[in-house]
Amino acid sequence: MRLVIDESRCKGCNLCTLVCPYRIFKPGTTANRRGVIVPELDRPERCANCRLQHLYGRTLCGVCQMICPDQAISWEEEGACEPVKVAIEY
Amino acid sequence: MQGNTACAEGALAAGCRFFGGYPITPSTEIAEHMALKLPKTGGVFIQMEDEIAGIAAVIGASWTGARAMTATSGPGFSLMMENLGFAVMTETPCVVVNIQRGGPSTGQPTMAAQGDMLQCRFGSHGDYSVIALSPASVQEMYDLTAEAFNLADRFRIPVFVMADEIIGHMREKLVVPDTVTRDDRIPLQKGNLPFRAGDSLVPGFPAFGKGYGVHVTGLTHDERGYPCATSPSVHEDLVTRLVNKVESARNTIASCDVINPDAQVVFISYGAPSRAVEQVLHDIRRDDVGHLRLKVVWPFAESLLSRFANAETFIVPELNMGQIAREIERHTDRTVIPVPKLGGELHNPSDLARLLEELA
Amino acid sequence: MSYDEWFRDDRLPHIYCAGCGNGTVINCTLSAVDQMGWTKDETVFVSGIGCSSRAPGYIVADSLHTTHGRAIAFATGIKMANPDLRVIVFTGDGDLAAIGGNHFIHACRRNIDLTVVCMNNMIYGMTGGQGSPTTPQGALSTTTPYGSAEAAFDLCGLAAAAGANYVARYTSYHVKELIRAVRTGLETPGFSFIEALVQCPTNFGRRNKFRQVMDQIEFFKSHALLVQKADRMREEGKKIPDDMIVIGELARRNRPPLGVRK
Repeated sequence: MRLVIDESRCKGCNLCTLVCPYRIFKPGTTANRRGVIVPELDRPERCANCRLQHLYGRTLCGVCQMICPDQAISWEEEGACEPVKVAIEY
Repeated sequence: MQGNTACAEGALAAGCRFFGGYPITPSTEIAEHMALKLPKTGGVFIQMEDEIAGIAAVIGASWTGARAMTATSGPGFSLMMENLGFAVMTETPCVVVNIQRGGPSTGQPTMAAQGDMLQCRFGSHGDYSVIALSPASVQEMYDLTAEAFNLADRFRIPVFVMADEIIGHMREKLVVPDTVTRDDRIPLQKGNLPFRAGDSLVPGFPAFGKGYGVHVTGLTHDERGYPCATSPSVHEDLVTRLVNKVESARNTIASCDVINPDAQVVFISYGAPSRAVEQVLHDIRRDDVGHLRLKVVWPFAESLLSRFANAETFIVPELNMGQIAREIERHTDRTVIPVPKLGGELHNPSDLARLLEELA
Repeated sequence: MSYDEWFRDDRLPHIYCAGCGNGTVINCTLSAVDQMGWTKDETVFVSGIGCSSRAPGYIVADSLHTTHGRAIAFATGIKMANPDLRVIVFTGDGDLAAIGGNHFIHACRRNIDLTVVCMNNMIYGMTGGQGSPTTPQGALSTTTPYGSAEAAFDLCGLAAAAGANYVARYTSYHVKELIRAVRTGLETPGFSFIEALVQCPTNFGRRNKFRQVMDQIEFFKSHALLVQKADRMREEGKKIPDDMIVIGELARRNRPPLGVRK
């Protein structure tokens, strides 16, 4: 699962930055087209729900989605991973 | 049977399933009778904490699809005004019985009056139109209350039964009809917008719990029912339709008794004063004196006045200071003589007869 | 239905200001409704007037947005006329405690089967920040420019005293607890009252030393006192500071409810 912020709904209150136990959200720096400074995501793959929702079959944590007054946070399915060739440096 | 009891019986016969109200003289017998009978017919009676809550509960019940009513008198009627405007705006069918008493304020709780006739038409803020019926006998308390539910469902508006203390507390013979015609509200067709009206100007009714997912608001709303309070055109279209759905049908809603249509002098009355006029006509037996008795006062159908082609003078006895006489003056160039009567007693027929002699 | 299907997508984003706590309370209520497994066809949302009362307009179920203060009276009519419907009332502090106070206490007394969720922002937000019955003593508002001289209403105490079957208070910070409280309210036959203190950055916070949205949330976080701890402090004779917010389940009883199909 992937965490997404709906920029058309977010009003930039930054409450998500306060509640996330992994501190995935951090206050944004630039205003978008609507003049809203949307929070930025810092390594969102750490989110418990992103990692474990499928395993447990229910929403885990989800506090950011609940506290977001603007219904802007949700999770969406990720497509199958593309194989990427990784060069490992020793 | 007493007028108030007949009113309650008429409502039950019409399939009223919800009564929410608050005790107030002289309408209490209606609530008492409904409290007695409704639970036995599968209905619900609830005594609310005030009249504001009474009409609110009635509107809420109506949105579940039930036929719902309340009964009150002057002071309670004043309290209901805001929510009556809400019922108009949200197009909620409901029946409000007002057993009128002397006002303003607490006034004369046990005496009759017709002082709320303009209040029922204009009492809530904003432009709107409603239907008001005026029974003049115990029989009509039954018949008109039953009919009020049909009109409310047909036009999706609050319908007022504007009786008075005399008719409410009078005891007369009542003939209960074998059947009462029911003209129920038409459900909204699935897929249609909840507040889009066709040619009838009345949209179908999306009752709660039927899967319509309708949003009902007292704010100016568009055809989807969504608030749209700053668009001048949406507001104009909505309010114009709310007024026109009633006003354009005023000639078909109209109901009256006409006596001596060729008369030169015509009494126009509604409610209790009609009985004084009937006594006068009975006593003097003159062909040049007519009588127009309105059963539907609002919307006022001015075409009824033209039924009296030879009329030179309209005499309007009312238990107020000329509320409907003013409306009649607006529609005719003939002489209109209001006969106001305050104090709670009916016009004395001999006074009306004397007025006729003075005219001659 | 899943949680996000309860929203009317075509109505979002809503009219609330940035950082307004009302949206959080809507989320939590809908999450609780969703957990109950109720469908939109059997659920009705009713509200009065004010910021909080715009909430039903964003929910797909049948909803009635009524006159100021009267939401509970309308909801009583709906529930009595059709006990099969599940009726939830959204209301605000001014709507519930000022103009609608009488309907509130009588609904508690009747113990009618409603769930009332009060978004208490301690101010009249929609009309521009006037003092409400729950404005804390000393707080600034446009009609209390020298600080509110009146004592604030304890809505939960009122509901419990008037006979509600379930009473709880949380804040918009305590989302998990709030969901659980609303869910318990929905499960409880009879009158359930859930007070959710919410931040109003535009009209309350701005005038009362909560310059940022987060400041008031931090205040809720640091000044919330669980009822069990408050009771313990009272037993020990300790004084509970005036600015503490007692949260938790404040009443649960089993008086016979009204408006439940027998």
